[in-house]
Amino acid sequence: MEENEFFGEKTFQRYCAEFIKHSQQIGDGWEWRTSKEALELPLDDFEVTESTATNEVIKYEYHVLYSCSYQVPVLYFRASFLDGRPLALKDIWEGVHECYKTRLLQGPWDTISQQEHPILGQPFFVLHPCKTNEFMTPVLKNSRKINRNVNYITSWLSLVGPVVGLHLPLSYAGAASQDE
Amino acid sequence: MTDDKDVLRDVWFGRIPTCFTLYQDEITEREAEPYYLLLPRVSYLTLVTDKVKKHFQKVMRQEDISEIWFEYEGTPLKWHYPIGLLFDLLASSSALPWNITVHFKSFPEKDLLHCPSKDAVEAHFMSCVKEADALKHKSQVINEMQKKDHKQLWMGLQNVVSTWSSQEIETTQRVKQDRFDQFWAINRKLMEYPAEENGFRYIPFRIYQTTTERPFIQKLFRPVAADGQLHTLGDLLREVCPSALAPEDNPTPKRQGLDVQACAQKV
Repeated sequence: MEENEFFGEKTFQRYCAEFIKHSQQIGDGWEWRTSKEALELPLDDFEVTESTATNEVIKYEYHVLYSCSYQVPVLYFRASFLDGRPLALKDIWEGVHECYKTRLLQGPWDTISQQEHPILGQPFFVLHPCKTNEFMTPVLKNSRKINRNVNYITSWLSLVGPVVGLHLPLSYAGAASQDE
Repeated sequence: MTDDKDVLRDVWFGRIPTCFTLYQDEITEREAEPYYLLLPRVSYLTLVTDKVKKHFQKVMRQEDISEIWFEYEGTPLKWHYPIGLLFDLLASSSALPWNITVHFKSFPEKDLLHCPSKDAVEAHFMSCVKEADALKHKSQVINEMQKKDHKQLWMGLQNVVSTWSSQEIETTQRVKQDRFDQFWAINRKLMEYPAEENGFRYIPFRIYQTTTERPFIQKLFRPVAADGQLHTLGDLLREVCPSALAPEDNPTPKRQGLDVQACAQKV
């Protein structure tokens, strides 16, 4: 069995720090938060997007956490209308682009589900992390081959983010290849 | 593993006598009597309360019924936590029966996950088993199992829920034993490790406390120290939750209701 990319907690923190640095430069809104009781470290972003169906404004909140069980980052998110009403799973599902739906429906482990946020204890939606290594390993291997610096968080978020409405400005990629 | 069998059985067959009462503001067509049930510790609220739901819905109109949820002394009960955990965390120092309030309105979106079906409970259960195996065996054992083995784990958990009638309790004993055997036939594979390793890669654990904002403590912890000594539960607590052992607080850690002092010998 081929060795998967080992992605420890310190590495996670390092990549997040670089990611945040660029976010601050372009005013993208990501923050670094620590819980005083230790190691899970969420980032946060507030984005306001429009829903096509009902023409209402929906607020999305994204958190990136580290899973020590799977040793990968995990994307947690929730969404609500401006009056505070939360979106249900079926509403979230409606917002997922067709091209991603087939893949997500293939297995329970690839899908979006409602989970408890491990630090806040509140309901969030999550993309299941157990397949992350599977799709990140070739990305990282390939960039090593061509000797290119890669920020794991940037690459990973650019892959999973769009599925749930989160799009990273291209300038993050430029920043990643410059970081030592 | 054989010397732990008594503990396994005690946990598996553990029951909590519970009294379900309808929330006073629910709209009913006539008085709703409380409903009594022996809840299995090793299961989930939404899995074992069909009878409770039916009982109260009999006195309500369809339009007054939305998603059911449960509350204890003002705290919404997280159905995705094992029943035994909920009880130990919130009600273990109160007199029995455990008094739970049933709601059919105003689902607390900010506190509770939705539970649209029994499939959601199964998905959650399997997700926990999978994560535990990621820690124990890098997911190798769970991934090598067939779908039918996963199903068998889940079916083992479909405990027969008994009421307080002694006849029902007697007749379900044999079925309960079958379920235990069924579950452990598969689970034992998830509890094995290579002889040379002396333990799992990491111990899957979560520590729940009411005194913290964070829902639980979960960290990487190896069963064997660098010098080859086996870690004990005391070592684990000292490392990840030292306040639990502080003499001035004197809380005793509970694992599914059993005082942990008795089984702190080997993790």
